[in-house]
Amino acid sequence: MTLIREDGAVEDRFTRADTIDAALAVDGPVLIPLAIADEFAKARPGAEFGVSLPGSTPIEDVKPQLGKIALVAIEFPAFADGRGFSLAKKIAREGFSGTLRASGPLIADEFADALACGFTEVELPETMANRQPVQQWLAAKDTMTEHYQSGYGRGPSILQKRLAARKGA
Amino acid sequence: MAKDHRAGSKVRGEKLPAILMASHLLEGDTVFKTDAGWTRDPSAAKIAHDAETAAAMEAEGKAAAAANLVIDPYLVPVDLTDGGLPVAKHFRDVMRQKGPSIHPDMGKQAEFPPLR
Amino acid sequence: MYRYDEFDERFVRERVAQFRGQVERRLDGSLSEDEFKPLRLKNGLYLQLHAYMLRIAVPYGTLNSAQLRMLAHIAETYDKGYGHFTTRQNLQFNWPKLKDVPTILELLADVEMHCIQTSGNCIRNVTSDQFAGVARDEVEDPRPTAELIRQWSSLHPEFVWLPRKFKIAVTGAEHDRAAIMVHDIGLKLKRNDQGAVGYEVIVGGGLGRTPMIGKVVREFLPKDELLAYLEAVMRVYNSEGRRDNKFKARVKILVHETGEEEFRARVEEEYAKLDGPTINAPEEEVERIAAYFAAPTYEALPDVSQVLDQARAIDPELDRFVEQNSFEHKQPGYIALTIALKEIGAVPGDMSADQMRAFADIAEKYSFDEFRVTHSQNLVLPHVKKDDLPAVHAALKAAGLASANAGLITDIIACPGLDYCALATAKSIPIAQAIAKTFADQERQKAIGELPIKISGCINACGHHHVGAIGILGLEKGGRENYQITVGGDATEHAALGERLGPGIDAEDVPAAIEAIVETYLAEKQGSESFIETVRRTGPEPFKTGFTAFIESRAVESEAAE
Repeated sequence: MTLIREDGAVEDRFTRADTIDAALAVDGPVLIPLAIADEFAKARPGAEFGVSLPGSTPIEDVKPQLGKIALVAIEFPAFADGRGFSLAKKIAREGFSGTLRASGPLIADEFADALACGFTEVELPETMANRQPVQQWLAAKDTMTEHYQSGYGRGPSILQKRLAARKGA
Repeated sequence: MAKDHRAGSKVRGEKLPAILMASHLLEGDTVFKTDAGWTRDPSAAKIAHDAETAAAMEAEGKAAAAANLVIDPYLVPVDLTDGGLPVAKHFRDVMRQKGPSIHPDMGKQAEFPPLR
Repeated sequence: MYRYDEFDERFVRERVAQFRGQVERRLDGSLSEDEFKPLRLKNGLYLQLHAYMLRIAVPYGTLNSAQLRMLAHIAETYDKGYGHFTTRQNLQFNWPKLKDVPTILELLADVEMHCIQTSGNCIRNVTSDQFAGVARDEVEDPRPTAELIRQWSSLHPEFVWLPRKFKIAVTGAEHDRAAIMVHDIGLKLKRNDQGAVGYEVIVGGGLGRTPMIGKVVREFLPKDELLAYLEAVMRVYNSEGRRDNKFKARVKILVHETGEEEFRARVEEEYAKLDGPTINAPEEEVERIAAYFAAPTYEALPDVSQVLDQARAIDPELDRFVEQNSFEHKQPGYIALTIALKEIGAVPGDMSADQMRAFADIAEKYSFDEFRVTHSQNLVLPHVKKDDLPAVHAALKAAGLASANAGLITDIIACPGLDYCALATAKSIPIAQAIAKTFADQERQKAIGELPIKISGCINACGHHHVGAIGILGLEKGGRENYQITVGGDATEHAALGERLGPGIDAEDVPAAIEAIVETYLAEKQGSESFIETVRRTGPEPFKTGFTAFIESRAVESEAAE
């Protein structure tokens, strides 16, 4: 697995565990399925952990966990499945301040969209990272420097910039 | 993900003899497998008369697709003319061998001698 | 019309560079074909039967002469000297090479054009009324709304990987010429009881495999809330639209399976969570865009033109052309003129590079440098002085563009069909050509009156056959091309889906079958009823009877021949 952030590849601090037993055996931050989050939190109060969930998950199912977890990993079954983008947007709207991870065979060309929807990082299977190395991701991210949509990405939208320019003039 | 593009055509009955058809990645033109590589000329297509040759051609097609040379290679069942030229059995593949019916001045039919 | 500012310009230029890079990464194997395909589709590039096809966006069908001249240049330099106007007000080139496409996009950017989202599972090019800003029955010009949506939907970070394509149409008029009832979202500008302007929002219409008429999800949406409301609809669809089956992935299926009430509730629930002011366009921005669509500086003219009346009196051809192809303009002394790209025997919607240049000159000289593309694959000169009509007609005639059949039985919509399209199951254009030849006689066309025939060469319904007064669908049956015929379809505010008359027939029988249907109409017609009005009154039964009789007579004939 390769983990890519806005400024390049980073080490994954989290260890994935699919069962509660495996999770409890891990030393350090652990990434577990949403279904065992309550059980894990009870067994390891105060431990740093994240949950993984498919992009089809209703926001109501994940909302109760958001205050307790450090990371949400949204699983993308395919690069063309955009549900994860909307889920990320909904999670960010709930005020979640931890790490939002897109996990799956994403392509470099959607890195900018992922960041604009609130993702912090993308976790790629190794086969993908070999074909589209980190440099391609960083280049793709900066290809488009402007966006029309207000409420996405970090900077102001084109519509907001126009307004500001008019007010300044 | 469901395929938007229909690579093959529905042909009933005999699947042989057959030729291998694809699209050229960079040009978009319809191309046909030959012994040496690929041709744009429908009359120069290599004809598979037996299943073994057909399978070998199909494998070469897949390799060419993997090598980013062609897209959507597939076997096309054909009838042979008296002169031994391959004419696709399905009307859709015939259209690809010739070019648009509404523009006889365009496509293969404008560039190459007719198959029959 | 709208002109790019520095932001729009940079956006389109960067998009060209982005695509150039994607082509390079496809060729070096960084992108597989499965990955590259949706990327190229989102830039309008398809792979068809013989070649690539590039679909160029004509936002809400508006173009100027410089743009058309550039299209002529591209047609001659990188294609085979012609272009094809589509049922979604776009333009397609049928023979570009992948290696040339980045350069073509660069040339398009030179005239403020692009191919962004003319295909793929994203929000497509927004369509509108071809008589926007001209029609007398208009509440408000729909183009500023369409332009705002164009900008907002361009590379929307959240909605570029939808379950399926998504089409939005806007109209500002009472009479619906934008087919808003059969789009994923249809917007109708209206006034509420207090006189404020807003939108009626219709969701879940569509044609294709499962045709459906859209449902009103909002009776009145205040105008300044548009983008936030659209975001709510799109988010519900992106989250909940089906992804397990391509044929059930359109929003119409979600609305249908969820139920109209429940769908509306989910949209409203999402909408309530949004912070509207942070999403909606600032009022100043809406005004900035609207200013580009201010009416041109018309001359003050009497509504009746003596020049025109005198010319019509001595030139029956001109008289016929004006009678058939003109549309009432809200400005006295002007008309809007439909240019039917439907010469008898021609390919519906095709235009040669020479015709493009000639037409660009006409639009520049006689219509404030502007023209429109219609979803019937025709063009419109929106503001022609009646006094100029004789000269305009002469110029059009010289270019082979003075076909006086707008709206008649020979003004046929046809998708490209099996002659080009990789998805097609049957030919479409040759059927249109054969029908047009059968009804070539002008007097006969006039006697039959308005009769939109729409032909699709596969179930995906790009030819809108479901909403043709007569609809024709070409399928493959038993290894042959086979055509199903419907009557009673209507894309206007009386939206209706056509009903099938009987079993499918062979291509060569289609013109005679259409003649039989027309005979039924002429026999059933009361007063000045149009074809669709008659079908609406009688229902399909008499047409089914006539069609069945036709099929039986054919069977007898072919038995006799054997």
